Amino acid sequence: MSSFKDFQDSFQRGILERDDTILSDVKDSTTESRSVLIGVYRHAYVARLAEILGDDYEQVHAYLGDEGFARLVKAYIDANPSDKRNARWFGRHMPTFARETAPFSNHREVSEIAALEKALSDAFDGPNAEPLAIDQLAALAVDDWPQLTFQPHPTAIRLTFTTNAAAIWSALKDETAPPDLVRYPEPQALLVWRQDFMARFRPLDPEESMMWNETTKGVRFGILCEMVAMFGGEDDAEIRAATYLRDWIDSGLLAGYEVE
Amino acid sequence: MKTEKPPFLGFGLGLRPQHYEEILSGSPTVDWFEVLSENYMIAGGQPLHILDQICERYPIVMHGVSMSIASTAPLDMDYLRDLKTLAERVNPKWISDHLCWTGVHGVNLHDLLPIPYTEEALNHVVDRVSKVQDVLGRRLTLENVSSYVTFGQSEMSEWEFVSEVANRADCWLLFDVNNVYVSAFNHGFSTDDFLQGIPRDRVVQFHVAGHSHEDDHIVDTHDHPVCDEVWDFYREAVTHFGPVSTMIERDDNIPPLAEVVAELDHARKIAGEVAERAQLTAAE
Repeated sequence: MSSFKDFQDSFQRGILERDDTILSDVKDSTTESRSVLIGVYRHAYVARLAEILGDDYEQVHAYLGDEGFARLVKAYIDANPSDKRNARWFGRHMPTFARETAPFSNHREVSEIAALEKALSDAFDGPNAEPLAIDQLAALAVDDWPQLTFQPHPTAIRLTFTTNAAAIWSALKDETAPPDLVRYPEPQALLVWRQDFMARFRPLDPEESMMWNETTKGVRFGILCEMVAMFGGEDDAEIRAATYLRDWIDSGLLAGYEVE
Repeated sequence: MKTEKPPFLGFGLGLRPQHYEEILSGSPTVDWFEVLSENYMIAGGQPLHILDQICERYPIVMHGVSMSIASTAPLDMDYLRDLKTLAERVNPKWISDHLCWTGVHGVNLHDLLPIPYTEEALNHVVDRVSKVQDVLGRRLTLENVSSYVTFGQSEMSEWEFVSEVANRADCWLLFDVNNVYVSAFNHGFSTDDFLQGIPRDRVVQFHVAGHSHEDDHIVDTHDHPVCDEVWDFYREAVTHFGPVSTMIERDDNIPPLAEVVAELDHARKIAGEVAERAQLTAAE
């Protein structure tokens, strides 16, 4: 081999593509052949990445079983050589991969369970921010309220699911039998976020989901109330909007406000 | 740049999430903790919150697995920036990684890959260590890795390569007792040759760990208790190098804290016996 760089290219191909060119550089040991010895690295590469994915996607594993999960993991590893230094991010493409790759793409709940697990992990070690406290709003003048905009907590993620993947995830997490698969006629939203160091999630009804979506775009509270009135009827619209807001504050879903 | 030799910290453990609660609620007889750098190179949340609390109570050293110091790919400046940011938070006594490479062409194989011990590789690694030390503003500590292959083009022994890196790049060494034992078994060299070949004044830390026997080779799995042969070699290492900060490294099949603390006590006992014998010899 002509250079250190060529050596590393060859060694990496030997692992990723199982190219045997590297064997000409490797010596047999007194007890093992060079192919067995290079096999230690080949085996370790796949085993380590499979272990990372197993830790990141425990409930996908539980749902698919050992054999199905092993197929998913092998396909993912083959298609996604790690491009990050930190193994924490190796599995980040799994929801998209499972949604787009047959046969897993025929079972939408698989990618949705993966999406929930990824969102919970992302919320768990996502950025810190002091949650907005209700007391911070107490001193505002009544006239300020229509002009308020809110910042979501940086860990908050809104997902939309076409199946009852969240209920399946919860049952598997509790080590109970998952419910039968349900395909929703309309996608349903849920929020994932971190509160008190715990990653959490809960479903959003369509009206709350709409208001959350608009809130994250920086829409003022006065307009939000009008949108809620249009969405679900004018009666008590402001009370409904204020109730959603209060619940978000109590849950640590907001991190700040501004008076526009 | 920080260049003074780090202090002897005593006997430490690798910090593992399974032990967080016991460490924070009790006062285990652990002198210091080694944290896996990548586990805390994250934005926020509980891991960093707990790390902050442990940093308040114990001396900390940082240990990475993906600097890829021997890679021929360009240095990953984003990684080094994040590592430096974590170091500013933790204020570690030293920062270590492995004398190996982990990938090229933007790929990370998440393994500690072996190097042919050539002058070309040596020059490359020395240059990289110097650059990393400039970025971090401190000397780096490099660990010898376990390996399973040897290469026809090697021009020197592993210990000669490790020593030359340390001397030419002016960095510290983490002497992994188990890795020397594993590589010596796999490649048929003498652990004593390795020991004698490493410059005493460069070694700032020992790793002691367990491993797994496969058919005709040993794999460095860190998932078993330390075996008698590795304890024997640890005794030789302490005798040769003198007091060196010692750590039990367990990465898989993680037992209750008390079990690894008991292994640490065993290391303490061995080091104490070696020191006592040295005193007696000096008094004679």
